[in-house]
Amino acid sequence: MESLSNRKKVLEQKPMNFWERLYLPAIFQGMAITFKHMFKKKETIFYPEVEREFSENWRGMHSLKRDEQGRERCTACGLCALSCPAEAITMIAAERQKGEEHLYREEKYAAVYEINMLRCIFCGLCEEACPKEAIYLDGPIVPANYLRKDFIYGKDKLVEDPINIESPVAGN
Amino acid sequence: MAVIYIDNVPYEVKAGKNLLEACLSLGFDLPYFCWHPAMGSVGACRQCAVKLFKDDQDTKGRLVMSCMESVRDNLYCSIEDTTAKAFRSQVIEWLMTNHPHDCAVCDEGGSCHLQDMTVMTGHAYRRFNYKKRTYNNQYLGPLINHEMNRCIQCYRCVRFYKDYAGGKDLDVFAAHNNVYFGRATDGVLENEFSGNLAEVCPTGVFTDKTLKEHYTRKWDLTMAPSICQHCSLGCNIIAGERYGELRQITNRYNGDVNGYFICDRGRFGYEYVNSLNRIQHPLIRSHVPEAVNRETLFDHLKPLLSGKVIGVGSPRASLESNFALRQLVGENQFFSGVPETTAEMMEIILSVFNTGDVRIPSMKETEEADVVLILGEDLNNSAPRLALSVRQAVRNNPVEVANTINIPAWHDAALRELVQSEKGDCFIAYPVITKLDELASGTYYISPDEIARLGYAIANFLDPQASAVPDLQGNMQGHAVLIGNSLQKAKNPLIVTGVSLQNPSIIKAAAAIAAALGEGDRKAMLAVVVPDCNSMGLAMMNAPSILNSTALSTIGSPDTLIILENDLFSISQEAQISEILDRSTNIIVLDHLHNPTSARADIVIPVGTFSEADGTLVNNEGRAQAYFQVYMPKNENLRESWRWLSDLKNLRDGTTDANNVTPHDLIRQLADKMPQFTGADQAMPTADLRIKDQKIPREPHRYSGRTAMNANLDVSEPKPPSDPDTPLSFTMEGYKGLQPAPLNSFFWSPGWNSNQSVHKYQMEVGGALYGGNPGVRLFNHINPGDRSYMNGIPPRFKPDKENWEMLPLPHLFGSEALSSLSKGIAELSPQPYVAINSMDAESLNVDEGSILQVIIEGVQYELPVKIKPELPARTAGLPYNLQELTGIKWPAHGQLVKG
Ligand code: SF4
Ligand code: SF4
Ligand code: SF4
Ligand code: SF4
Ligand code: FES
Repeated sequence: MESLSNRKKVLEQKPMNFWERLYLPAIFQGMAITFKHMFKKKETIFYPEVEREFSENWRGMHSLKRDEQGRERCTACGLCALSCPAEAITMIAAERQKGEEHLYREEKYAAVYEINMLRCIFCGLCEEACPKEAIYLDGPIVPANYLRKDFIYGKDKLVEDPINIESPVAGN
Repeated sequence: MAVIYIDNVPYEVKAGKNLLEACLSLGFDLPYFCWHPAMGSVGACRQCAVKLFKDDQDTKGRLVMSCMESVRDNLYCSIEDTTAKAFRSQVIEWLMTNHPHDCAVCDEGGSCHLQDMTVMTGHAYRRFNYKKRTYNNQYLGPLINHEMNRCIQCYRCVRFYKDYAGGKDLDVFAAHNNVYFGRATDGVLENEFSGNLAEVCPTGVFTDKTLKEHYTRKWDLTMAPSICQHCSLGCNIIAGERYGELRQITNRYNGDVNGYFICDRGRFGYEYVNSLNRIQHPLIRSHVPEAVNRETLFDHLKPLLSGKVIGVGSPRASLESNFALRQLVGENQFFSGVPETTAEMMEIILSVFNTGDVRIPSMKETEEADVVLILGEDLNNSAPRLALSVRQAVRNNPVEVANTINIPAWHDAALRELVQSEKGDCFIAYPVITKLDELASGTYYISPDEIARLGYAIANFLDPQASAVPDLQGNMQGHAVLIGNSLQKAKNPLIVTGVSLQNPSIIKAAAAIAAALGEGDRKAMLAVVVPDCNSMGLAMMNAPSILNSTALSTIGSPDTLIILENDLFSISQEAQISEILDRSTNIIVLDHLHNPTSARADIVIPVGTFSEADGTLVNNEGRAQAYFQVYMPKNENLRESWRWLSDLKNLRDGTTDANNVTPHDLIRQLADKMPQFTGADQAMPTADLRIKDQKIPREPHRYSGRTAMNANLDVSEPKPPSDPDTPLSFTMEGYKGLQPAPLNSFFWSPGWNSNQSVHKYQMEVGGALYGGNPGVRLFNHINPGDRSYMNGIPPRFKPDKENWEMLPLPHLFGSEALSSLSKGIAELSPQPYVAINSMDAESLNVDEGSILQVIIEGVQYELPVKIKPELPARTAGLPYNLQELTGIKWPAHGQLVKG
């Protein structure tokens, strides 16, 4: 058959000579390369004991933010869920009642907020869509788990710790 | 027809419209706020500006409001003109100076006309950096929420509430940059149509408060075209669900029926679907435990179905379900579960409709009447949406004058200026004051029999051949002549009557008037109010009432009695119902809620409500309309009644259906069996209808959370539920363009997320939907000659000292059992009372609020007195069908004793 690319090289298969048939030179050559690497800098790290530094625009686990006064920022407007291409977010909105002003920043809040981490593709569109700076993918890698149901992350796992209140945008 | 030039392209448009309507009808996206297709233009918001040119030579042009410009031949205008575009975006920018940045918490978001218009004009960046004006919000009752900061002063709310719906308690206050739309003080909105504010207001000022309890954006709802179940008018609605819970009812435009508006009972009466009182499992009372699975149920039922089985149909169940029951038990064992008098009245109505002597108007047609006569109905409370139509009808005569001086019909501001408080003739005969009385040129507070006599006297005046009324009370003849003269002069007279007062003679009299008014093209319109959403459909099946004395002898003592979606104990006296139930060895009840009847049943089968079932209803004008299942309930026991009943039939016959039974199949069989239903099968489309090979989605394409919302139950994402019964699919997949009108599960168009998108579904703005408005009119079979309704003049009403005539007075909230289960509606329902006039109160020596004992056929009620001075002597009004006052056999007489 004619070659399609005109770049076909016809290889000749020569019989090996005596040295080659011994394999020893090839083995030593290989061992030499291996030994050389023992003294070079390691490419791998000991995860999870050691973690790599995340880049500025790293997208990891989501966190639902609180404002300066510790109130949840999310108003359950639904835009993150709307923009999610994996349709991994769902929430149930509720009205803030009198006396809950210290808990929720605006009149509405998410009574339930769930992300199906098995579905999430960490695209960050939810973060981009949020008009309230309430969701950021600034967490660690989502850990492995044994049961599928444990990949449904609710508010218990997503909402930022109330004590550890930082400025919502890293570097801002 | 006129030719207009938009951006130099000629278009042929209908003359008599305004330019905005013409542009929208042509498919242009032109922003607007204050104009409303049903309410016309006032030119208040300045949003719809276009450039208008003198002629094709004019290059300068001037800005005009397109909603205030009549379409005429050779009109040159530009939508794309830069000044016009800049003007429109600046109007938005100026509205936005005070508009809060609220979309994320606003209930309107995602279906907000203001959002859509803002995006449409391209205003994207706010330059206003100062403090915004703020207001206090008001408490407007349990149904409507108020958030005044979002107002853009378009005035639509007050124009709808006051001008269109006749409300008194919503107004505009203050001036300049501080106008306030609300009530004088906090309080419940009184008008029956207040819920429409949520749809009329283009922003989030007025929103549905019941939606807040389980808030969901429009794009996240699974929606299906449905029919209101709470009165006989058959208003078209869209029902929306999420997380297995029915969450919102909105209006579904049907140009022939409800148009753009529904009443509050229909909008807010849906909560019974989510009730904790729902029947969840098949129950066999003799079984331990009571709740059983389907196999056990069927095993238990099999022997019960082979003996003598009697079926009781329901006026609130679909044609499909009633027919499936009739098929199961057989024609002669099928009875209708309505009171005897209702059955009698329905029979009269059917025979009148079948004579073809009268024109049966659609609700839209009633709006075109010029003289209205209402006999024995309080429309605002018995058929609310029809009251709104009558309200528009009384304006027709004065508006006619406007046409002669060249004021176009859409020019609302000028029309109202001209018409002022002038009204066409409207006469109302009813025992108490009704809300429509304020429009009436004559009101007659008389007893039901006297209403019938007045009717017959009018008929006799119009047509001396009709029988004369003997022993007419003094001024009655005068009234009859006055009304008769007005009706005779009318171009398009409308007679409205109904079953509310439980008096068959009233219906006969109304029919006699309509028949006397004219024949052929001059046929008068006769609109009849019937009790329930499918009363007409059930009546058309011609089954005798189970409460009929002759029926009793037929049923004898059956082995099994099957009661379909009907609480018999609420329609007549306990003793009478018990007598029937006691005759049967086994009682099977199919219903969605536990009630006294299901409590008596030996076997209870849970069924789906309107949102969990497909079906067809026939409304008061004989229009068959289909409603579609909104969602697949998680509980597999909640199946359509017709599906259970078809299964039972197979169970008994030992057969299996080769294919899934669809509602269309059932309706087709029904139409084959009973020719009076010919055409009804057109209303319910076949299950295999596809548009471009696709089903029609129930969910908008932006529906979110599919892989997460049920993941807590089952991560492995089961196959989405399929719908083998209808052309709709339960997901967002499917055909995205214009659907056949009966299958519009929601209204949406690119750039038009709010309900204003409905004009994209209309052939012309405010007109019929593409493919014709949904619904098929039955009553095409005319048997002329049967004029028996002409007779039956009741004797003169004589006040009886001992035996008071009880009058059932319907209430918008409270008189319909299912809607009364909604929290807000229960809150607004009246407390039980007995109404008497002042003289009677004096003679009984009671005042407003004192307790009277009312004894009706041995049953005693203790009720506080309400004084209604206009009530005829020795009649007593009781709120109809209030939870505490069910189980009365109407018409009723009773004794009043001071308690
Ligand atoms: S990161 Fe992307 S896929 Fe994940 S939840 Fe957000 S929007 Fe959805
Ligand atoms: S009314 Fe519309 S534009 Fe205004 S806050 Fe609500 S959703 Fe947003
Ligand atoms: S409340 Fe709504 S309808 Fe009324 S003027 Fe304001 S924006 Fe318009
Ligand atoms: S008028 Fe009747 S059918 Fe229409 S919405 Fe009201 S209750 Fe429903
Ligand atoms: S829509 Fe024309 S001015 Fe408001």
